[in-house]
Amino acid sequence: MKLDFELNGAPVTVEAPGSLSLLALLRDRLGLTGSKPGCEIGECGACSVLLDGEVVNACLTLAAQVHGRRLVTIEGIHAADGGPNDLQRALVTAGAVQCGYCTPGMVMAGEALLARTLTPSREAIRTAISGNLCRCTGYHQIVAAIEATAAQRAAREAGR
Amino acid sequence: MSDFQYVGKPADNVDGLAKAMGQAKYVGDYQVPGMLYAQVLRSPVPHARLVRLDVAPALRVPGVVAAITSDAFANHGLFGWPIKDAYVLAHEKVRYVGEAIAAVAAESVEAARAGLAAIELELDELPGVFDLTHALDADAPLVPLVSPTGRGNLADTLIVRNGEPGPLLAGCPVQLDESYWLHHQEHAYLETEGALALPQGDGGVTVYINSQSPFITRDNVAAVLGLPAERVRVIQPPVGGSFGGKDDIGYQSGGQVAALALQTGRPVRLTLTREESILASYKREAMQIRIELGAEGDGRLRAARVHMLADSGAYPSMTPLAAWRGTMHAAGPYRYDAVTVDTQVIYTNNGYSGAFRGFGNTEATAAIEQAVDELAVRLGRDPIDLRLQNCVRQGDRVMTGNTLQHAAGLADCLEWVREKSGWEARRAEYARQPAGRERRRGLGVACYFHGSSLGGEGADYATATMKIESDDSVTLTSGLTDYGQGSRTVFTLIAAEGLGVRPGRIRMLRPDTQTSIESGPTVASRSTLMGGNATRVAAQNLDRLLGWAAAQALGCAPAQVMRHGEQYIGPSEEPLSFELVTARARAMGLVLSAHGTWHMPHIDWHFETGTGVPYYAYVFGAQVADVEVDTRTGQTRVVQVWAAHDGGQVIFPQGAVGQMNGGVAQGLGYALLEEMTFQAGYPQSLNYDGYLIPTALDMPPVEGTFIESSFPEGPYGAKNMAEPLLIAAAPAIANAIFQATGRRQRSVPMTLEQVLLGHPLAAGAPREQCRVVTGVGPDAGEVH
Repeated sequence: MKLDFELNGAPVTVEAPGSLSLLALLRDRLGLTGSKPGCEIGECGACSVLLDGEVVNACLTLAAQVHGRRLVTIEGIHAADGGPNDLQRALVTAGAVQCGYCTPGMVMAGEALLARTLTPSREAIRTAISGNLCRCTGYHQIVAAIEATAAQRAAREAGR
Repeated sequence: MSDFQYVGKPADNVDGLAKAMGQAKYVGDYQVPGMLYAQVLRSPVPHARLVRLDVAPALRVPGVVAAITSDAFANHGLFGWPIKDAYVLAHEKVRYVGEAIAAVAAESVEAARAGLAAIELELDELPGVFDLTHALDADAPLVPLVSPTGRGNLADTLIVRNGEPGPLLAGCPVQLDESYWLHHQEHAYLETEGALALPQGDGGVTVYINSQSPFITRDNVAAVLGLPAERVRVIQPPVGGSFGGKDDIGYQSGGQVAALALQTGRPVRLTLTREESILASYKREAMQIRIELGAEGDGRLRAARVHMLADSGAYPSMTPLAAWRGTMHAAGPYRYDAVTVDTQVIYTNNGYSGAFRGFGNTEATAAIEQAVDELAVRLGRDPIDLRLQNCVRQGDRVMTGNTLQHAAGLADCLEWVREKSGWEARRAEYARQPAGRERRRGLGVACYFHGSSLGGEGADYATATMKIESDDSVTLTSGLTDYGQGSRTVFTLIAAEGLGVRPGRIRMLRPDTQTSIESGPTVASRSTLMGGNATRVAAQNLDRLLGWAAAQALGCAPAQVMRHGEQYIGPSEEPLSFELVTARARAMGLVLSAHGTWHMPHIDWHFETGTGVPYYAYVFGAQVADVEVDTRTGQTRVVQVWAAHDGGQVIFPQGAVGQMNGGVAQGLGYALLEEMTFQAGYPQSLNYDGYLIPTALDMPPVEGTFIESSFPEGPYGAKNMAEPLLIAAAPAIANAIFQATGRRQRSVPMTLEQVLLGHPLAAGAPREQCRVVTGVGPDAGEVH
């Protein structure tokens, strides 16, 4: 079927079987490999993407479901100059990136939270990333990076 | 505390931004023109003779290009170390559910799966060995094709002989004799195993693979292909976690894709699904450990006698070596008058086991630290006091009889966690909980020592290279690799420190058997110490060359050249930039490249007599866990953890903290959540829905510190992190659960059922689910 949707800010049209998973569409058809397969049953969150601003597991989403909607993948998260944004930098500064396989999904979960609030509690951050498994870090530095980014963005907004 | 420029100072992981932006390419992210997809037929049963295996029908399936069995390999693809009895694809028998039997390459994954279903497979099922404690019975079925010891399912025996504990134990007024069960653990790295092979024009093959040790992978792949080593090039892309888990399984998958690529002349990629990964890959070995301890009434430990059984499963893999490390640590970090340990490594049909973070010491510490806690109760002593009374310090003899040569921060670690956790007050408060309270708190402690690097396992060396490129960037290689633990950043910081340049000037090349120098395996938390020292030597060698050039340019002796940042300063205090010095060096005809090699000082462990020096140096640590147990459900929540680790100088602080938090997380999972159980050889969990690892909500706050005891032989004084940070969590939690409930667990994991009922619930065997994952078609697999 023909799918029209917004991908990382630009309109795209792709021809794909509607039963294809969104993860396969992104990785195998569109060459966007930042979203990672980890379990393909919606348990690990490594394939998290934003569909109309909500975090979804691309492995559990059918390609047909993105028709007419706004999709953001990790490839769509960056600063205006194409470099890393503040959250991505904060993750590295905090030491929150080890093997890095969960990191794109963590960025998506973090951005979804920060789109809702710039004053999340630590508990709210932990809950926001609780669908994203990490086997390396023990999560604390990831939480700290999201918290630091929230504070910076809040300060910037307050300064406007 | 240090006057280093870069070592021990905040730094960014050198691969961090690429990973955070989704740009890092893992092996499953590679798409190569003309690439074929491999799939592997796996055993649906735990033990069977291969009666008939015909892959020809697979070749008639549209899209299938090649199908191979063990016949495709030299010597049927036999590999393995220290016991060589594994195959790239099964030969004569299958010995565990999920064992690879045949491999197919096709134009699509779907075609390859259809190819698997068309393979004609006839298996004659054999009785299996599932009970570790009966695997050596005279009538037990034999798991290996040939017993390596001549004693049935006994794969290996390991001993410590340090005096005669028997008479001492008998004479001790306070004694303990208890057994502890440590069950399997799955690595559960977020990225599953994968390999991509590209045939080369010269008859060789290049393999991109997420294995830990590229050179060992190369040697194994070359051997099973019957090729000279130089015809196989192994490149390690970023690896999505390993924790010991991506060694042997990579030799298999690397061999499979390389053979298929050479046969088809096309690139071939294999990536495992999560279910396949859990079914096929090795686990942390299960162990049963019996500990006898004897102490004087004043708490002085006199003797220990330990018996360990290690379940290697169907193939020994690294279990003999992990069991050896467990054996060397089995009585814990204490002074004794006599210790013996007797360990048996045993074949079963419970999957197979191998390396996993902690490598036997995780299990050994989980047992001995519960035992010492039990002994403290019998002595009427505070658990930390008793440990401090007996713990090893510099100059003491450790349990294997060798003397601790270096500064040892174990007592400092225990003191730190005692103070920071408010130990006395909390312990006293929890001891006063009313008997009827349902949510009960407990505080527990555990400590550890952990031999640095390989020790008696084998030759211990590493090599690094550094080169100044024409743009004055510096390229760095190491034979040791980074699968997430941060060693590429550690090496970069050490190189920067040694050469006196900004870390940003240094580019660490990807591990590649054609460009880096063989340095042994990337295991045993040896990267910082071994690879770090090699990098330090390389940097100093390169620095010496630049020193000559700077001296000539400044008109002084090399010894008179001072450094300020990247600048070189002579006696008349005129500064020269790094670029001017490299230009002078080139004009002098100097080759701006250097390598550095470092060998661990020699030690000898005598395996036959159980005596000697198993490790040149050790790291130490202690953790306290505060738990709340719901006595109605058996659920345990870890409220907080305090952790102290003495690994010498910290090189990369954020990385070290990550090792600590991550170690606690994996230890917490091992302690409470992670049930990798086998029922009659069938694994009970095949994905994260059944195999639960800690989420962000399971992680307690961790207050930690690094006690940086002096270790002058290390790179800038460093020893190591990584593995040992995991091993204290489970026994600390077990001891805390004891304070909360008054009941000893003596079994890991301490799931709800275990804590509530004292035993795990027997689950139904999901044979059908396993069967689906193995690729055996509904009608194709004939099992008698």
